[in-house]
Amino acid sequence: MIRDERIPADELRRIDEEIRADWPTGADVDFDEAIAYHESLPASKRFADVLEEATKPLLQPRAGVPRLDDQVELLEYLHGEGKADLLPTTIDSYTRDNEYEKAQEGLENARESGEDTLNGFPAVNHGVSGCRELIEAIDAPIEVRHGTPDARLLAAITFAGGFQSFEGGPISYNIPYTKRHGLEETIEKWQFVDRLAGAYTERGVRINREPFGPLTGTLVPPSIAIAIMLVEGQFAATQGVRSVTLGYGQVGNVVQDVAALNALQKLGDEFLPDEVVVTTVFHEWMGGFPPDEARANGVISLGGMTAAIARPDKVITKSPQEFQGVPTKEANASGLRTTRQVIDMAIEQEIDIDGIAEEQDLIERETRCLMDTILEHGDGDVVQGTIKAFDSGALDVPFAPSDSARGAVLPARDDDGRVRIFEWADLAMDDDIKEIHRARLSRRADTEGRDQSFRMVADDVDAISDGKLIGRPQNAGDV
Amino acid sequence: MVLHTMSQTVVLGVIGSDAHVVGITILEQAFSAAGFDVINLGVQTSQEEFAEAAVAHDAEAVLVSSLYGHAEQDCQGFHGVLEDAGVDAHTYIGGNLAVGQDDFEQTRATFEELGFDRVFDSETDPEEAIAALRQDLQITTTETERATISS
Repeated sequence: MIRDERIPADELRRIDEEIRADWPTGADVDFDEAIAYHESLPASKRFADVLEEATKPLLQPRAGVPRLDDQVELLEYLHGEGKADLLPTTIDSYTRDNEYEKAQEGLENARESGEDTLNGFPAVNHGVSGCRELIEAIDAPIEVRHGTPDARLLAAITFAGGFQSFEGGPISYNIPYTKRHGLEETIEKWQFVDRLAGAYTERGVRINREPFGPLTGTLVPPSIAIAIMLVEGQFAATQGVRSVTLGYGQVGNVVQDVAALNALQKLGDEFLPDEVVVTTVFHEWMGGFPPDEARANGVISLGGMTAAIARPDKVITKSPQEFQGVPTKEANASGLRTTRQVIDMAIEQEIDIDGIAEEQDLIERETRCLMDTILEHGDGDVVQGTIKAFDSGALDVPFAPSDSARGAVLPARDDDGRVRIFEWADLAMDDDIKEIHRARLSRRADTEGRDQSFRMVADDVDAISDGKLIGRPQNAGDV
Repeated sequence: MVLHTMSQTVVLGVIGSDAHVVGITILEQAFSAAGFDVINLGVQTSQEEFAEAAVAHDAEAVLVSSLYGHAEQDCQGFHGVLEDAGVDAHTYIGGNLAVGQDDFEQTRATFEELGFDRVFDSETDPEEAIAALRQDLQITTTETERATISS
């Protein structure tokens, strides 16, 4: 039975050898040589140090193209023109499915045609030497960003390739991304990823790990996101990771977003072991974007404002072309510059908003309910507790496509635009907290002159792309 | 007009490798609230899974969702698979059915040619699909039901 226990050294070696045989580039990984390579990198490329020593939020975009020279050019542009502090390398979908053969075909097509035939950088196919060329070309730390349920080979190659930060986790890269991967299976695979990061850490190369906070990206109640961040942070800490960045996705209500980021940092420090340095990352709005660039810049600016007040360690920016999909490099850089302008104008102001402390208190109480139920389900073991709590529905994520989560919880915004829970299903929560949500949603229903129903949920999902925060009924006049 | 009083079953799912779940979650809620029995197959559903579910539940309609742009490829031969399984149901498809900013009338024609009875774009409200299905199934609604749906 899988538990929250460190993978023993001989087991780590056995799995490492096994997974490196999955694709020819795996043979080039040599752990001791990789440690020496990381030691040779300048301080400006050490991800954990740069992030943890920053005095204001660092900005990072998303970006990945198939060819190495194009990826170098793209990251140079985002670093130079967008003034990104931290850079990404987003991995293509075939690699995320461990389909390295298909990724190879796509890469070869891209090389022949000059077109971007893959939606990201196939790092396994580029291998250790390809990754190192990228690391050497860019004078900033670079993170691997993806969405891979089984990321073991990707981690082995990119860590040896010089990357020092790796996004994802067994829940956050399973529940929102895929239907059929069991939680037990992804936890086991991510224990290896975390253990490998822990092995580098023990040799003085601190690999930063970043659980994916936004989850399904659609009206996720803050306490659910935070509980999953704490769980994945704990999993990583157990395997020896010492630099953890917990994530949260903007919901658009400034009070709730600031409160959630405060709660995330506070609970992260409280729940994770003292030897772990806990930082936070704020993702600009992950739901549907307005279809025109001017309005999209408004959404991005609100994210910048929120970040200036809450001061997370890092902000993942969006581009004004989010509506259409993958942005041009110019649009990607413009999202960075818009965010920077708002943060720099707002961050030195003292902005006090009523209600943040109360909202933070509520989020913390909710998160503690969820953490309690996880530990109870696992009889003190957080791995077993997570698996069993998802199974019973005591832990759940709204709009989860995975068979491993019920996906029965439904959120809706209250009259002030804060995300509340409309349908609890079997989510473990104290009755007095449920009553607070019910009362807040009932106030909205009164304002709108309609019953609480799934229509609110549906209207809320489209609201921001339609130009508002709350999905008010169209025929209700000026409410 | 025939008045159906018993509840009608619809099979719902996202076809292919697509994992976009928000749309069908809302459709599931909307069709259930409108009185249909909804079998939600979820994301990443194969043609064969749609056919099996339609047979098993004697579905009146098969509603296919796709948002990642590969719908045309995913739906090749779909109506043949349904026919071979003996499914005689109305078939609808909706979502972002093509990559990029294609002309929707062209997209509609493409999917009608593939055999779909109705084709919807991603801006469609659930009520529109429910009204269409009621029309296709010749279901009349009572005044109270109508009020609930349009509220």
